[in-house]
Amino acid sequence: MGSISFALKNNLTELDALCEHVTSFCKSSGVSKRQTFEINLALDELFTNIISHGFTDGNEHHVHIHCVDEDGVLKITIEDDGVPFNPTDAPHPNLKCAFNDREIGGLGIHLIRSYMDRIEYRRENRKNVLTLTKTI
Amino acid sequence: MDITETKHDQYSVFKLNGRLDSNTAMGFEQKLFDCIENGTQRLILDFEELDYISSAGLRVILKATKSLKGADGKLVLCEMQDYVKEVFEISGFDSFLPIEATLDDAVKSV
Repeated sequence: MGSISFALKNNLTELDALCEHVTSFCKSSGVSKRQTFEINLALDELFTNIISHGFTDGNEHHVHIHCVDEDGVLKITIEDDGVPFNPTDAPHPNLKCAFNDREIGGLGIHLIRSYMDRIEYRRENRKNVLTLTKTI
Repeated sequence: MDITETKHDQYSVFKLNGRLDSNTAMGFEQKLFDCIENGTQRLILDFEELDYISSAGLRVILKATKSLKGADGKLVLCEMQDYVKEVFEISGFDSFLPIEATLDDAVKSV
């Protein structure tokens, strides 16, 4: 049962660090290459969302990420002190509509829902807290 | 991410190496649209060495495809890793984007 905790600054350049942390954690937990890709993608989409929507004051903030492997179930918590933002409220994209009407909005959360078993949001102590669960 | 562009008479091939995410998507978009604005309307994206794509990358591909459709052009993708292809399938992008197995097939269909 391994775990890892780390913090990222509110800057998209931190995506490389996010990928490095997640990949090394997955490797030490014996997670397959495909599942490592899926976990990286879900966290990337969430982190990008937080950076794009969360901070309006121009100050440096930190996003805290904690991953734990509990007997083959990966639990990931992402915490930020940005404006209240619940990504699970995003509308489901219309995947069947005509090509010309296709929009990119909502695709990120659609991918997260596809790759993770569960995603939960709560607002706690003026922070956004997201919990992802995936059987590995 | 490294992007190598190879120009041919009738089309250009973009070979992507690394990660196409919200950090690298803007540079990719710039290169793609520079090429389109310079008059090349038939493009191939070779994903053989692309390890990773997020919705930010899909957004650029959707935008380029829409732009090329208006100009009677075409964008063809090829040589995808299976887990990269799955992102296109989950997103429903495989219903309107030509995805070929090999670069040779992409050259034939572009």
